[in-house]
Amino acid sequence: MISLAQMAMAAGFILILIGFYGALTQRNLLRMIVAFTIADTGVNIVLVAVGHMRGRTAPILDVAVPAADAVARVIDPVPQALVLTAIVIGLGVTALMLAYALKLHARKHTLDIAKMTELKW
Amino acid sequence: MVSALHIITAALAAAFLMGLLKEQQRGLAFGITLVTLAFMSWISAGWLWTFASTDTAAVEIFTAGTQPPFAINLRIGLAEAALTLLINLTGLFSALALKDTLLALGRRAMAVWLVAVMALSGIVLTRDLFNLFVFFEMTVIATAGLVLLSEHSKNDGQALAAGFKYLVVSQFISAFLLIGIIFAYHTTGTLNIDGMAAAAPLLSGSAAQAFSLAFFLIFIAIVAELKPFPANGWALDIYESAHPAFSALFSAATGAAALFAVDKLLLIGGDAWLPMATGIGIITFIAANLLALPQTNDRRLLGYSSIAQTGLILAVLGQRDILGDHTLYIAGGLLLSHAVAKAGLFWLSGLIAERGLEAWAALRGHPVLIFAFVSFICMLTGLPPFPGFYAKWELIHLLAGEGRIALLGLILLGALIEAGYLFRWFGYIMKREAPAEVVDNAAHKVVAVIAALAAAWALSLVWGELSVLQFERGNLLLALPLLFALTFLALDPLPAWLKNTLAIAGLLAWFYLTYTEYDPLRMIFAVIFLIGGSLTLLASYHAHGQRSGFYPSAMLMFAGLAMLIRATDTFDFFVAWELLTVGSYFLILRGKHSEPHALSYILFSLGGAFLILAGFALATQGAPHFDLSALADLVQPLAPWVFLLLAIGFMTKTAAIGLHIWLPGAHAEAETDVSPMVSGILLKAGLYGLIVLLLTMGRQDFYGVELINVMLWIGAITALIGNLLAIFQEDAKRLLAYSSIGQMGYAMFGLALMNHLGWLMALMFVINHYVYKSMLFLSIGGVAKRTGTREMYRMGGLITLMPLSFIATLIGIIAVSGVPPLSGFGGRWIFYNAILTAEARLPMVIIFLAGPIAFLYLFRLIYTIFLGQLKDEFRRVKEAPFWIVLPQMIYVAILLVVAVVPGLVLRHVDSYLNAFFPNGGLVWEGSTITSQFGYWNPVAIMIIVGVIFMTLFAWLLFVNRRAQKVKQFNIVFSAERPFRPETTHFAWNFFAPYRKALGFLTLPLATMFWSTVTDLLHTAGDLARRFYTGNGQTYAFHLLAFVMIVYLFGMGVRP
Repeated sequence: MISLAQMAMAAGFILILIGFYGALTQRNLLRMIVAFTIADTGVNIVLVAVGHMRGRTAPILDVAVPAADAVARVIDPVPQALVLTAIVIGLGVTALMLAYALKLHARKHTLDIAKMTELKW
Repeated sequence: MVSALHIITAALAAAFLMGLLKEQQRGLAFGITLVTLAFMSWISAGWLWTFASTDTAAVEIFTAGTQPPFAINLRIGLAEAALTLLINLTGLFSALALKDTLLALGRRAMAVWLVAVMALSGIVLTRDLFNLFVFFEMTVIATAGLVLLSEHSKNDGQALAAGFKYLVVSQFISAFLLIGIIFAYHTTGTLNIDGMAAAAPLLSGSAAQAFSLAFFLIFIAIVAELKPFPANGWALDIYESAHPAFSALFSAATGAAALFAVDKLLLIGGDAWLPMATGIGIITFIAANLLALPQTNDRRLLGYSSIAQTGLILAVLGQRDILGDHTLYIAGGLLLSHAVAKAGLFWLSGLIAERGLEAWAALRGHPVLIFAFVSFICMLTGLPPFPGFYAKWELIHLLAGEGRIALLGLILLGALIEAGYLFRWFGYIMKREAPAEVVDNAAHKVVAVIAALAAAWALSLVWGELSVLQFERGNLLLALPLLFALTFLALDPLPAWLKNTLAIAGLLAWFYLTYTEYDPLRMIFAVIFLIGGSLTLLASYHAHGQRSGFYPSAMLMFAGLAMLIRATDTFDFFVAWELLTVGSYFLILRGKHSEPHALSYILFSLGGAFLILAGFALATQGAPHFDLSALADLVQPLAPWVFLLLAIGFMTKTAAIGLHIWLPGAHAEAETDVSPMVSGILLKAGLYGLIVLLLTMGRQDFYGVELINVMLWIGAITALIGNLLAIFQEDAKRLLAYSSIGQMGYAMFGLALMNHLGWLMALMFVINHYVYKSMLFLSIGGVAKRTGTREMYRMGGLITLMPLSFIATLIGIIAVSGVPPLSGFGGRWIFYNAILTAEARLPMVIIFLAGPIAFLYLFRLIYTIFLGQLKDEFRRVKEAPFWIVLPQMIYVAILLVVAVVPGLVLRHVDSYLNAFFPNGGLVWEGSTITSQFGYWNPVAIMIIVGVIFMTLFAWLLFVNRRAQKVKQFNIVFSAERPFRPETTHFAWNFFAPYRKALGFLTLPLATMFWSTVTDLLHTAGDLARRFYTGNGQTYAFHLLAFVMIVYLFGMGVRP
């Protein structure tokens, strides 16, 4: 029987591969950026899946989960914290790439990455 | 002590403060930026001082009031303090150099700058793996922003494209990093680096395998930040297109931070991962240097060089298992050398308007900037007294001690290639036509360069002190001869005559201080180097004005020579060797057309020096000190290898055949008073090396070949070919240069005979060659100065106009050719006696043959320059300048004295040699010298030859008394003027018949061989760099392929 975590992890890796494939084969800057967001999502899913523990609840200490028995009842909070950070960073990088795409289009009137090869060798 | 955490908080606070400022308050914003960076530097400096001066343990900084692993912790120790200081200072001075750009762009750019510097410090300080990822991502985002600092409307969006390529690659890297981190966390249960390092070895089974894969992903992601070959196309584009002040930060600070991150990771991974680091590092080092060879854009070239240096340091980190406690000293020395020099060079690049390497010729009018450039490239090449030199010395010795010879060889090969393109660049600066654009010497930009220059020399002092403390070696910067040479940098603005007097006084004073220390053998060299040097310097009085740069170079060479003969252990010897090499290189480069020759000189010399270094390292076998005399105790199988390496190394300096191609150009194109220095004096350094080697190691058997016999043959062939090449030269100075090759062949032959007389004769050659070659170079140089040409067929009939030069040349050639009565004859006499006792018959025939050939070129010298018809245009030529003639006359006197009383010098040497070769010495009685084959009475010979000469001369005067004088122009030319007038001149192609007969021996085989080698390297570099297509997707693919290949190779060999 495949667990939820395993399914999520498989899905995450498939998304990463799709994203990488797209980033390597699509020559349009915007499509590349979309591909990267797919890969980022995949990475985040993998992160969450690794932290998943069967039958436990979210690591939020409140009435439902008193601090005393939290260790036995909540899942590992660290991967979740990591994912939050990773999402924020991913957002920043994506925004930066989009800004780049905008500027490049304004300057070169194209979004084709194969046409941005003045610097080489 | 201010907590190191405030390095981060200060930058963040200032960056947030930027948001509160008004857009127009740019000056204020810039001021805050500088103050913040200075404050950050001050914190690091304080910690560095604490750790360096006291024995304090590293300090942990906890955040969130909790211990790790529940909160992030930072750590500051000696390495962290030094690196954050490097990063913050680079940030500070780069910001200064960026003043115009930052003021134009406003507070946002400054905030990004602060965040970039802060993130780099964070990478160094953090002990948490995920925090490391966060700081890396901040660096990525800041970098992508700062690449655009160079962006303006005219540059076609190159920086934009480069930044996007970088982002593409960094997306892949961060995905690897995140996946690696989460699985490493999953298997070890902690994100703390030290915790993980403790937990990882305890894993077993599938958990260990999973961890190993996770660690691989983390490791490869961080290594990818070091721009390893071939996954580094993106970085090169950034180096080329970004603002140089940012590139300085990118090269010096980002590189240092990423390297330190790798170092932390290796702590987790353990020794099993070291080979992978070494492999990636060394391949990157070689490949990037190779690819740098065909570069013409300065910033791209510096980019390649940065990548190469980072690769080298990665390889060194991979040798941690054998470097042990010295890792910090060695890797740190290399890293700081690289960082300071590269930052300095990028800042310099900001002063140059054009991007071609030749455009840097604009620096020529700025001595301080030239000095900065020289310091930086010497620092990168690892020359003394810079930290890289100490690091290289220890590294090579440790590698040799552990038998890691392949890595040792590759490191030296890469370093040689790097020296090749760096010194070629320096040649462009000194010799190429200066561009129309002048250097932008805005104060804030120059300050950064000066800061790097000061840091370079300060670090040299520190590393020298560390070398005293850790290894009990000397601090090079405090060596008196070197200090004296460096003083001339400060004295540069003084007039030349004053500096010349100081230089001569310095040489003589040093001789006076040290003369008691030398045994008779060293005394000969001491006299030639110091007294001889000051004699040669007399000729330098003819130069007028300031003669900028001459004295530091010349005195550096003399410092090296002075240190060479006092050296007792291998370290001191090698230091002296490198100093004299570099000094003479600068000296040779001063010639008008000497750019290519100086380059080939420094490359051959450095190649030779590296062989010597390898030889010493092999001999040492890990011992902390190694006396030169201990070379004698080496045994098979090591000894012949050491001998071979050292012998070839020394033979590059004596220009043995095959390694000689640098000499003719270097000696002939040098300035008039430099030629005698580099020929008469410097060549003896190589002979001194050979003497030290043969005295200690003597006969070595290399797989059944007696190496000394090989040397005998090389000596004989060098003598023959050198002399043959000399007779076919049209250029008088080149003729003399080739003749030096032949003469050095004689000396080598004598040494290789390994008997008493052979050595005596070699030492006699050492003295004679100094005297007559210095004299001939001066007199021919004087003639060339007056006539404006060095081609002999253009001269002629100068005997009456330049009588003193004529006399010097005449005496010189009598001495060289070894006919009675001058000292050359004594040399020959000892030589023939020596040969008669040796067994090698065939090389003996060759060396006999070389004798008359020498006479041919000498005859040509006097006949075509001073005799024959005077050219019309030289009718008003005057005698050479007084200061050039004076030393010649002194040499004439010396030759005459030595001819009459050779015992003055040789007696002592003869008796000294008895200690090494007890048999076959000479017997000295009165003025007669007796060998086992006959006797030689110099005084009698002088008298006999004098009488014969006077008789013949009187008879000639008598029969010529009624001869009719024919005026030079009482003949009529009726034919047309030929297209190439020299072809009809008797002095052109003077020895055509001999050329027909023996010309095949003078084919430039060695030149062809070496130019093929360099062409191959260039072509390889040029082909390989096509690999960087400029397409961002290709670069991403390179990265993936790199990860794949490293995985397949690396994980295959791991447990």
